[in-house]
Amino acid sequence: MVEELRIKNGVVYDPINGVNGERREICIRDGKIVEDVMNPKVIDAEGKVVMPGGVDVHAHIAGGKVNSGRIFRPEDERRGREPKTKVCRSQSGYSVPNTFTTGYRYAKMGYTFVMEPAMPPLLARHTHEEFIDIPILDKAALPLIDNNWMTFDYVKSGDSEKLAAYIAWMIKATKGYGVKLVNPGGTDAWGWAKNQGLNDESEDWGITPAEIIRALAEANEKFEMPHAIHLHQNNLGHPGNFEMTLETYDVTEGVKASKDRSVTHLTHQQFFSYGGTSWKDFESQAKAIAEYVNKNEHVSIDTGTVILGDTTTMTADGPMEYSLYQITGRKWTNCDVELETGAGITPFLYSGKVGVHSIQWTIGLELMLLVKDPWKVALTTDHPNAGPFIGYPIVISTLMSKKRRDEVLSEIHSAVYDKSELPSIDREYDLNEIAIITRAGTAKILGLQEHGKGHLGVGADGDVAIYDISPEERDAGKIQRAFMNTKYTIKGGQIVVKDGEVVAAPEGRTFLVEPIFEDEEIYKEMLSDLETKFRDYYSVTMRNYPVQDAYTPHPYVIKAPMAK
Amino acid sequence: MQMIKLMVKDDVMSGVAKIPIEVDSLTPDNLFGKNEAEIKAVKVWWGNRQENTGDLFEVSVDGAAGSADEVKIVFEGDLTRVKHIGDGMKAGEIEAHGDVDMHCGAVMEGGRVTVKGNADCWAGREMRGGELVIEGDAADNLCAMYRGEMTGMTGGKVTVGGNAGECVGQYMAGGEIVIKGNADVLAGYAMRGGRIVIEGDAAIPGADMIKGEIIVKGDVEMLPSFKYIGVETIEAETYDKYIGDYAMGEKKAKGTLYVRKK
Amino acid sequence: MTVVTDVVCPLCGSVCDDIEVEVEENKITKVIKGACAVGKSKLQGHERIKSPMIRVNGVLKECSYDEAIKKAAELLAKARRPLLYGWSSTVCEADKVGIALAEEIGGVVDNTASVCHGPSVLAIQDVGIPCCTLGQIKNRADLVIYWGSNPANAHMNHMKRYSYISKGYFLPGGKKDKKLAVVDVRETSTSKMAELFAQIEPGKDFLLFSAVRAVLMGYEDIVPDEVGGIPKEKIVTLANMIKESRFFITFFGMGVTQSRCRQNNIVNAIQTTRAGHLHTKGAIMPMRGHYNVNGFNQVCTWETGYPFAVDFSRGFAWYNPGETASTDLLGRGECDVALIIASDPASHFPADAVKHLARIPVIIIDPYHNPTTEFADIVIPSAICGIEAEGSVYRMDNVPIRVRKVVNTDYMSDEEIVERILEEVRAIKEKEGE
Ligand code: SF4
Repeated sequence: MVEELRIKNGVVYDPINGVNGERREICIRDGKIVEDVMNPKVIDAEGKVVMPGGVDVHAHIAGGKVNSGRIFRPEDERRGREPKTKVCRSQSGYSVPNTFTTGYRYAKMGYTFVMEPAMPPLLARHTHEEFIDIPILDKAALPLIDNNWMTFDYVKSGDSEKLAAYIAWMIKATKGYGVKLVNPGGTDAWGWAKNQGLNDESEDWGITPAEIIRALAEANEKFEMPHAIHLHQNNLGHPGNFEMTLETYDVTEGVKASKDRSVTHLTHQQFFSYGGTSWKDFESQAKAIAEYVNKNEHVSIDTGTVILGDTTTMTADGPMEYSLYQITGRKWTNCDVELETGAGITPFLYSGKVGVHSIQWTIGLELMLLVKDPWKVALTTDHPNAGPFIGYPIVISTLMSKKRRDEVLSEIHSAVYDKSELPSIDREYDLNEIAIITRAGTAKILGLQEHGKGHLGVGADGDVAIYDISPEERDAGKIQRAFMNTKYTIKGGQIVVKDGEVVAAPEGRTFLVEPIFEDEEIYKEMLSDLETKFRDYYSVTMRNYPVQDAYTPHPYVIKAPMAK
Repeated sequence: MQMIKLMVKDDVMSGVAKIPIEVDSLTPDNLFGKNEAEIKAVKVWWGNRQENTGDLFEVSVDGAAGSADEVKIVFEGDLTRVKHIGDGMKAGEIEAHGDVDMHCGAVMEGGRVTVKGNADCWAGREMRGGELVIEGDAADNLCAMYRGEMTGMTGGKVTVGGNAGECVGQYMAGGEIVIKGNADVLAGYAMRGGRIVIEGDAAIPGADMIKGEIIVKGDVEMLPSFKYIGVETIEAETYDKYIGDYAMGEKKAKGTLYVRKK
Repeated sequence: MTVVTDVVCPLCGSVCDDIEVEVEENKITKVIKGACAVGKSKLQGHERIKSPMIRVNGVLKECSYDEAIKKAAELLAKARRPLLYGWSSTVCEADKVGIALAEEIGGVVDNTASVCHGPSVLAIQDVGIPCCTLGQIKNRADLVIYWGSNPANAHMNHMKRYSYISKGYFLPGGKKDKKLAVVDVRETSTSKMAELFAQIEPGKDFLLFSAVRAVLMGYEDIVPDEVGGIPKEKIVTLANMIKESRFFITFFGMGVTQSRCRQNNIVNAIQTTRAGHLHTKGAIMPMRGHYNVNGFNQVCTWETGYPFAVDFSRGFAWYNPGETASTDLLGRGECDVALIIASDPASHFPADAVKHLARIPVIIIDPYHNPTTEFADIVIPSAICGIEAEGSVYRMDNVPIRVRKVVNTDYMSDEEIVERILEEVRAIKEKEGE
């Protein structure tokens, strides 16, 4: 391992520190950015673009659901296979690559941190076991806490303190990072093959999704959590759902954030920005969504932008995956997780020949182009739901080039000209804005800027991406190629990618949050409620449930004390 | 016309372990334009190592070719552990003298492969075009899809002189398969197009089929989810006509199964 | 004497985790509660292989771990078509190293799924699988169907803990609130408890699934009067039981996967569940045998993209059971060296496969003697996972559980042994200048 590095002559984009395309030197010692170094290895980045390591706010890269996706798609696995090398393990897969490949491909794109956004608590060990096998990247995971019977009980009884105690226990037990919600109420109703809208009262529990969302947001803010609640709301993927989306945004209005960030992070909003009443009159309502985000500070979003082509969709939103499978008739896997959540998986082809898919493609781009403040919107493809993460360079080049957008628009279904605003949008992202939506902003949304991610200030992690293009480059093809394979990726001060090849594959870290709940009495009462659940309804014992330390060999612990 | 003879050397298959050789690199497209020395140097996989063709095969080359179409490759010797004969070929001709191992004619796009013997599983897997003739029997998964795919054979013609194993033409979407003998269970499973003719008997053909045509001239063990339509005459013979598979629902049950009347 | 609670049973796919045992002088002396009879006997242990051994002139001679490991590595490093088989009765940590070893030597790695539930995996690859964790069944499933499996004998705890006999949140009355249906080729202790029992003719499962599907899809009229020996009325009754349930679960056993039509019986069983799902909520699950057969499949999938039968001979992973599964390789006489771990192919493989195995060099890693050790050339004893070594296992419903180390041992763990072999192989390859 190189202990000291100096990157000179590069054009640096470091938005958190206000550096916008300036020639700067970056020095790294012992894995961290420092002022200066004595005896470094020198990288000459003359004329090239230098950014902090990429931070992905939402990509399904590990866990039971992802692996079920791999298991049932040998046909996807045989795409993109590569033999083992001296450095790399053998590689398989396109939309559901094996773990090693996931690490290599992200590193080649200059990413160094990825958030796995849906960890079923009962299966948390699985997610962490896969993390161990994803090289290079630092990772974290969000446990699903919203369809949980303990949560339901406390939402019903209005016991916000116990709910806070419970999420503290759960995040620690699963070695998680925050609070994830996926179709609150609806996923549990899927236990009976039913679903729920935002204000529908559950027959079994007598509460509504809106109540769950609000209660969890409030519980989250009782701690100084680095991240907001991370919400995949109700009614994903249905024509006309944008109205419920806007109502959902309102649910957490007025909740006070315990830190400088949004209260609710709403994920892959492309799937929630649909107008029309059926697939026949389907249209984009991205504008309405973007306008809301522009006016309100309590929400941040990521996009879930579509990559045209075949992919594997997977979410804890069981009923949604079922309806998707009903449309395609392709294979479908479902896995309900007792007392907690569920999962559905089905392959999907986004085809430019199909009107609806073409409009979906425009929506993910519209959201990014119509939200004015790039700090509020993050680039994702909800990997692999709207497309695999290796499509990011395509999206980046599309955002930076109106010309490329026009080319694609002319090739896909002509419905896009009537049903979407995209053709009339002239905005082009610059590299600084790209840096925000792919690292600086995402790090801030996740609260990671305090922990060394998303910027290049002194003390930050030595995670750097050097892209082989000049800052003036306007050619979409060249931009795409540069963002696909870095000139260099440096992770924790170590060169891991050089000239687009992985040259080292060190193990990454797991970031965990430990919320500290102070009232011991309440905590004990919560534990006794929990013991009952385990004794009567779970299929494992409470002592065998928490994820053991063996599953996080390289932990990075963030303490979250009670908010003042 | 150029004739390339490849004869498996005796000692290659004489060990305790009979390790397969994979010859997807030995197609007319690939060997066209190469002289004998160059052909001998073409790499083939033998277990976990790559070897020179010349180390595993006696090679002889006769005549010249103006294009891959004019190249004929003849495989001889013990071919029971020679896999991927004609895999991916686009033109020319291959003749295999003896029983061949798996994936013969897989993903073939054009040209012609003749097997003068039996073919092991996955012959004609995901075939796109061209012609495959198996003079003996074909084992399971003839012209089927690769695991997990929803498309098997899409074009070309396959003839089997003897019997065929399970799942002939699974997920077949186009092309034609003719079996002179019997077909084991599930011929035309999940078929989406194309045509399968079985001159002998068939057990539960057409399960989950949503399109395409299966014609059986011998006895059939029928699925309980096909609907009897009536009698139809094809080439002066009388057939019972069924539509299915209704287990897929009425909207999808658009496959046709003809069974010759006794 | 100490009592250890929440012990996890390392025997079958039910992975019971609420077992209490007594430990005295570093030995489990008594199983207090939680385990079934077979589980109890596994936990209390029986005679072990004492020392590593190498066969010299036809006779196994005791040797050190170092010698056995070195010899094993030499055999594997020079093999042209090595097979690494077993992996289902050990922990995922060992499986991982085994996969790395297979990759290093260009071998084929495969687990016991290829002789038990491999067909289920193949079926899932065609159509997917609507499934759930066992607790979901306990709390919600009011119709339990056992198809070709007899838990009352083979997995008694399974019925008590998770299915027909258990009580759950929405089914507080236990079996009073539930219905049981059984399809099997013979009467069994389970079928005697059932409200509906369909005794099917052997090899006719596929036809019966198609018939039930046709009824569920609304085409009762085209179904013949009898299918596979089951009268039409009974088929309609079964379909109606499915329709009228709130949540139905089908458990299927080897009776379905190993008979005519093999994996395609499971494809059709899953299609039947999908058809039932048009009316109500349904799930289907294979009854897995070994406690960690699923764990290997999980690890192998995330590390290679495929669940079992992975062939690394070309450097990348190629998967094609029927070609690359251990029984295929051995039955066709392809392998030149085999490493067997935590398994006994001599008792479970077809005769021609065993015959080939007996002809080639075999390395076996196992705590116990078994028929495969009889002809093995290198025998390496290991610690018993779940008793002497800890690690991850995956229950039949994909729930990961960490088995515990209850007592200490001098035996090396599977993970350590395979890791050491891998290091030796790497050293040999380095020397060869690869
Ligand atoms: S049912 Fe299986 S896991 Fe449970 S105690 Fe018996 S053998 Fe062990």
